[in-house]
Amino acid sequence: MAYAVTTTNLCKRFSLQRERTTLFRVLQNRLLGRARGSSSFYALRDISITVQQGEKIGVIGDNGSGKTTLLKCIAGLHVPNEGQVLVNGSIGLSSGFGIGMVPELTARENVFLYGAVYGMDRREIQEAFSEIIDWAELQDFVAAPLKTLSSGMKTRLAFSVARHVDTDILLLDEALTAGDRRFKQKCQDYFAALRQSSKTFLVATHDLDFVETFCAKTLWLHRGQQMAFGETQDVLQRYTEFEVIAS
Amino acid sequence: MRLYSRKHLNLLREITLSQFKLKDQSTMFGFVWSFLNPLLMLTVLFIFFSARMGEAIEHYTVYLLVGIVHYTHFSNSTTGSMHVLLSMRHLTGNTVFPKELLVVGSVLASSIEFVISLVLVVMIALLSGVELTRFVVMLPLVIALQVMLVLWASLLLSCLYVFVRDINHIYQVFLRILFFVTPIFYDLPFVGQGIAERVVLLNPMTHLMGFSRSLVIGGRPFSGGLFLFLLLANTSLLVVSIVVFRRLEPMFAEHV
Repeated sequence: MAYAVTTTNLCKRFSLQRERTTLFRVLQNRLLGRARGSSSFYALRDISITVQQGEKIGVIGDNGSGKTTLLKCIAGLHVPNEGQVLVNGSIGLSSGFGIGMVPELTARENVFLYGAVYGMDRREIQEAFSEIIDWAELQDFVAAPLKTLSSGMKTRLAFSVARHVDTDILLLDEALTAGDRRFKQKCQDYFAALRQSSKTFLVATHDLDFVETFCAKTLWLHRGQQMAFGETQDVLQRYTEFEVIAS
Repeated sequence: MRLYSRKHLNLLREITLSQFKLKDQSTMFGFVWSFLNPLLMLTVLFIFFSARMGEAIEHYTVYLLVGIVHYTHFSNSTTGSMHVLLSMRHLTGNTVFPKELLVVGSVLASSIEFVISLVLVVMIALLSGVELTRFVVMLPLVIALQVMLVLWASLLLSCLYVFVRDINHIYQVFLRILFFVTPIFYDLPFVGQGIAERVVLLNPMTHLMGFSRSLVIGGRPFSGGLFLFLLLANTSLLVVSIVVFRRLEPMFAEHV
């Protein structure tokens, strides 16, 4: 079986100071050769994983463990400082909480823009539109600016569009987290139907039940380090033991 | 070299539409407002300069209008597009697609206004007694050239702005200077034959306005040689700006 995503010794560093650069500072650094007094930290350190085509992978870890950074590196939004990422197939990234959608536009406008970002054309979106809105249960909010929606609603809307995305690899970043119980149930139905499909999923989530049910393999990150990558049962057991000791 | 597919053209249309909506909130008043600003400028310039300049320049009102419309388009759309990677940071930082489409969409959205304005100018010219000739139909060529100019300037500005935030202020000063080194309310003989003339002639906006004026007011075609030269120069600069933009693009997500 061919791989879908491979990372080798992937490292990503971020600068801790995010002061705004000014032209003056750029010139100062360039002309006087003054290095930026920068302290940086590793958001990801030596991540080496191989995901086969069709695999459903859970990515778990506490806040700040590097889940989002990893998905963004795979998506090509971040360039690794060291190591490399290889991707085989078309890729889509969907996030929860309305991240990646435009707050000032209405729900309807966002569906069209978001769908187009994922390569759907206008006719496809038009045909799917009422189904997308019905699934997200947002019939009353089609004309409302996205910023007026709750985070759960935004999460539902984004995932409802993402279901129609036809990419080989789909990266879901907390895309299922903010919903209520009914939304969770719908997501589970959706993934249950997909279990045998050839689509590759990487799902970053705090929902361990979801990972246990749908992901054969799991990656556990802790402060940018790869703690474990393997069979979900083993990884989850080690993760819960670790959490107990840590607390 | 990245090639564009139908998928990208579709995305470009959605981005252009959304930029248009965000700019004017698609309200009638917002749309009218974007024409009020150049009209107010016209009034002020007319009051102050028509007595002297109006004698030397035929159809001075239309002359002023053409200049104002060209300049307003350049200044508004480069300023708006410079900010687009940040104002649309939700897309820039979290979704995967060629980000130059955001800049192109923003330029196209503000160019809709430019096209409408030029049509209005032609109508006003007709009403104020200018004898229009068939050469007016060549205006789309000038529009295309101006959009190219705005596009490469916007591509460079927008990707630099991600990293160097104070170019915003520097650019506003530049635009103020540009207003005076472009023959908006004066004509070329007015600046004499010194260094001022050379600066004005180096300014591509001078020639773009000149093209529109000779088509609308003069009723004759513009110089084909000069047009080809500007087309070539702008094409080269457009290529350069795309190369620079793509070089910097991988770093956008962590800086917006």
